[in-house]
Parts: sequence; structure tokens; C-alpha cells
Amino acid sequence: MSGGDASAGVDDAADESRRPSTPSNELTRATVVGAFRDEWGRIISTLVRRTGDWDLAEECAQAAFERALSRWPRDGVPERPGAWLTTVARNLAIDQLRRIDREELAARRAAPRDVLGRFDQVFEPPDDLWLDDSGDDRLRLLFTCCHPALAVESRVALTLRTLGGLTTAEIARAFLVSEGTMAKRLVRAKRKIENAAIPYRVPERASLGPRSASVLSVIYLIFNEGYSASSGDDVIRRQLADRALELARLTAQLLPEEPEARGLLALILFQRSRFEARVDENGDLVTLEEQDRSLWDHHDIAEALDALDLARRSGGEGTYVLQATIASHHARADSLTRTDWGAIVASYERLLRLSRSPVVALNHAVAVAMHEGPAAGLALVADLEDAAALRDYYLLAATRADLLRRLGRLDEAATSYREALSRVGTEPERRFLRRRLSEVDAANAQQERH
Amino acid sequence: MLYMLIHAIDESRDVDDERWAQIDAALSAWLDETAAARVELHGSRLRPTSDATTVKIRDGETILVDGPFTETKEQVVGYDLLSCESLDEALAWAARHPTATLGSIEVRALHDAPSRTVLPDQVPTTTRYMMLVCVPEDVELSDDEAARIGPATDAWVRDVDARGVRLFGSQLAPVDGARTARVVDGDVLLVDGPFAETKELIAGFDILECADLDEALDVAARHPVARFGSLEVRPFW
Repeated sequence: MSGGDASAGVDDAADESRRPSTPSNELTRATVVGAFRDEWGRIISTLVRRTGDWDLAEECAQAAFERALSRWPRDGVPERPGAWLTTVARNLAIDQLRRIDREELAARRAAPRDVLGRFDQVFEPPDDLWLDDSGDDRLRLLFTCCHPALAVESRVALTLRTLGGLTTAEIARAFLVSEGTMAKRLVRAKRKIENAAIPYRVPERASLGPRSASVLSVIYLIFNEGYSASSGDDVIRRQLADRALELARLTAQLLPEEPEARGLLALILFQRSRFEARVDENGDLVTLEEQDRSLWDHHDIAEALDALDLARRSGGEGTYVLQATIASHHARADSLTRTDWGAIVASYERLLRLSRSPVVALNHAVAVAMHEGPAAGLALVADLEDAAALRDYYLLAATRADLLRRLGRLDEAATSYREALSRVGTEPERRFLRRRLSEVDAANAQQERH
Repeated sequence: MLYMLIHAIDESRDVDDERWAQIDAALSAWLDETAAARVELHGSRLRPTSDATTVKIRDGETILVDGPFTETKEQVVGYDLLSCESLDEALAWAARHPTATLGSIEVRALHDAPSRTVLPDQVPTTTRYMMLVCVPEDVELSDDEAARIGPATDAWVRDVDARGVRLFGSQLAPVDGARTARVVDGDVLLVDGPFAETKELIAGFDILECADLDEALDVAARHPVARFGSLEVRPFW
């Protein structure tokens, strides 16, 4: 947006808080980038609340950051960058609304009601109400973006655009669709929010449970997209994982009565703590068994344990709390054999009672194999062979292969590894299975020779 | 007798500006004529299906779907309610409506005569929604369930009427009695049946006026049909 100059008032306000010294350009650039990460979601959420116009909010926030990029290197970084950016974005929004208002009146269009109403709201004197220090606006925005009347892929995209500050092109790259497709998806979602009157608020207590479940699942989807070593651009993936963590922190902090929010935060932190250990230098997956546990991030683990502790003390025993509990047993153990598999099996059993997911059932079988031996695990895997959802799931065959290998049934193991290979989707996973297959083939050959 | 004209067109259909101008003119003329003949009660365009939300309850869980109740080429784009002497008279009005040249107009009799026939002025802070009550063609209800559905629907109507959320609504006569009008190259084609062969059929409708979509979805989820059918909630244009 390049329209009218709305900065007149801003410069006065900014003058008082401007630092006397002028830091180097790179340093300032880094400050703007940092401010972008910290402030984008705040500014968007406040502007959406004040104007009810999602496009306007994005445009004005964008323009405010562009202005920071040109002004801060010259004038110095203001003492409260967030306040500066919010004031600029707000003035730009007022300016835009004045223009729209004039145009609409000039065109004698039938509905000046909305514009004028919005205008009144925006035209309040600048004050700290504009600053989303409490996070309430961001929570409202999060609930609106994750409204279950929107398609899941739209919820994810909208959350990343408005709260995560990712560009449409970046989101498109992360989800392997064209920028045009992603832009359409975002526009369609914003139109529906406006036209179908999806409210901009945190739901009432009665519906808070299911609605926060939608918010948490969107955050976890974003994290998994970033964390899973499946495909795509590394930088973007790291960005997705980081944004998901920030959103999980915000949600846990703002929904203290929702133990699942803390459970998700703990789960994400546990998984992130293994970020460095889970792939080797070739980008191949390293199983939990083979991971170098000294590479695990102990700050993440400590924060995760605290969050999990709080969640459980407030009575949490939902799916995220249980998954985080399982992860906590791994995080506490110094090797796979010295892991409390009994406790892990118990958590999986409780998880299975909450969700009959066949994937959870498969993980339960793996835990039982560790606790009671591969034969017990194999019997559970056999029970799952008929589940329609798992029929083409490579991990079912891969798990069966692994248990057969551990039982010394190498021929059958090789057959199962081949079956898993025919279904696997990504190259690192394929390489892992090929390596295992050649190991059992070699062992098999050796057995035959003897 | 009251009849509902259900307008359905292919949303992806390209219509140029010139054609729109003709349609707008034809629509004004149609509205003038129906007003003069005192047959039209009310009608409206609806927002496109991308603004629709479909609600159903399965195994006690409320499921929301972003989109219409069924994925067909032609989709409901609006409605008109007419007071006519006969189905033939309603069909004659349908054949003269410009939608008949763009897509189809299904004509269905209203099963219960609503007490109110004119919609009140809209409260500015609210949104109006069309709620289509859709039932699977092959629905099999036990005798017990079938016996309960009538009283349960009546209780739902009493509740939403008391809250002032429902402006109008009715069950529609079964689809076997539906007739659909199309105009192709100037010729009026009338066929038996609904505008599209679908597994779910529109069995009724309610016009809601709510503070926001959450309220409308809550009202829809309380409808007894939510447990075996689905309710499409779509804002007025």
C-alpha cells in the first residue's frame, strides 16, 4: 500500500521514544526482522478486531513493517518497536477507511453502515488498548482462524498467514501447492469469515473444549509439517516448527484452564528436543533406538517436563497430555532398554480408550514388544492387519518386519521389509528400510551358509 | 397454497456482463409482475456454496463441513416463495424467471402453512441464513425413531420461535411431487423430480436470523434431523 501519508502523527509520537544513537544497518534490519516475528500477529489481531477487515489489517501491517525498514536505519530503533509499528499500522488503517468511506459515499452505495461503524471504532484516540499485550486479540484471532466451519487446510493457512506472519508464497511452498492456489484458499476463507459472520471471539465456556481442540490440532498439524522430514524446503520447515511452538506457548499461557494446551506444548517441546538427533548427516532418519541422546536439547526437555507437570496437576489426561507423557518417559531414559516401557504401555492403553486410532494401536504394539518381547508385539500387529486404515500404511509392514527380525525369523522379515518398501513415500524412509533389508538378507545368507 | 421456487445453477458457469444486465432487467420485470399479481411473498439470492457450512451429528459428535450438503454441478443459489392456486400456476411463474434460462428452478409445495408469510425487517447487527434440512434418500428410521421425529421437530420449532431466531420455515412436499423448470433456447422444459439426482434430498427449510454463525450452527445442531440427515447453513446475499 503506497496511498496517503498517514505518518504525520506517528513521527511526533515516535520522536519522543527514539534512541539518540543510530545503530548499524544490519543490526537495525535484524531488529525489524525480530519485531516482525514478535509483533506481526499482535498487530494483525488488533487491526482485525478494530476494523473487522482482514485484508486491510494485512495490508497495513505489511506497510508498517516496510516503513520500519526504511525509517529505523535512518532514525534509530524506537524504544517500543511494537507500539511504533501498531501506531503506524493503525494510522494507515484509518487513512484507508477514510478513503473507502469517501468512495462509498461518493458512489452512494447502500451500506455505509459498516464502514462508518468500523470508522468510529478505529478512530478512537490512540492508547495502549491498541497494544495486544494481554494476548487476548491473538487468542480471538486464533479461534477465528481455526473455526471448524472452515476447511482444515484453510485453518492452517490462515493461522500461518495472520499469526505466523508467513507470506502466501511461503505457505504455498510449505504445503507444496502453487502460490495461486494458496492465495485463492486464503481469500475464500477470509470471505467466508466475513459473509457467513464467523465471530471474532474466544468461544464461551460450554463450547470451549471442542473449539480449543480444533485450535490445538491446527497448531500440531503446523508443527508436524515442519518437523516431519518428509519433503520440502528446510528453512520453511524450521519456520513452521518454530511458529507452531510459539503458538503452543501462547495458547498454553492464555488458556490456563485447558490442560490439553499445556499437554500440546510439552509434546511439541519433547519432539523438538530430538530435532538434531533424529536425522543423520545424510538426512536419513535415525530411530529412537539409535539416536545419540546427548544431542537431545535439555532446555526443551526441562520446559516440556514443567509444562507436562502443570497439565497433569490440573487434571489433564487428554490425548496430548498422554502423548507428552509417553514422550517424557523417553526423555528421562538414557537408553532404549532403560526406558520405563511398562508406564509407556499403560499410557498407550489409556490413549487407545480415547481414540481408536489404528496408528496409536500400532505404537501400542511396538511398546508391548519392548515391554514383553517381540512375540507379544507381533500378536498385536497381527490383530491390526485387517484394519482398513492401515492396509497401505508402510509402518505396519515395517513394524512387522522389525519384530520378525528380532525374533530371528529373517526370511519373513525380508518379505515384510519388501512390502514396506513398496508402500513407503519418502526417500529417507526408503533408505532406512533398504538398509534394514540388506542387513537381514546378509544375515539370512550367512545362516544358510552355516 | 404456498410454493417454493428453488433456484439452482452451476456456480462455475461463465456469465458475461451483458448477459447479467439482461438477467437483472428480466428479474426486475418478474418481481414487478409477481408483486402486481400478489403472488410473491419473499425471496432472496444466497451467498455462494463456498460460504456454506453443513452440520450433522454422528455418534453424538457434531461434525461441521465447509461447503454445501451435496456436491452437485448445479447448486441452490436462491429461493422465492409464491402463493398460487396450483402447482401449474407456480410452474408458469418459474418458467418466466430468468434463472430458468441459466439453470433450473425446482418447484415444491410447502407442507405446513406457516402463520407468517412476510419476513420482518432485518435487525442490522444480525445475519440471515437459509437452513436447508436434508435427509438421505434411503434413510431407514425405526418405528420408534419415526414416531419421535415429528414431535421433536415441533419442539425445535417452538424453541427457536421463542428465541426469535426463526423467521419462517416449512417442510416441503416429498420430491415425488416436485417439478423442475428449465428454459433452453427459448423452449420451456418441465420435468418431474428435483433439480438434481442426489443421495440427500431437501426435505424442508428454515430462515434464521442470528447474531453470528456460531448461533446459527448451534440452532442447526439442535434440529432432530441432524442425527441422521444434515443441515446446510448458508448466509443470504
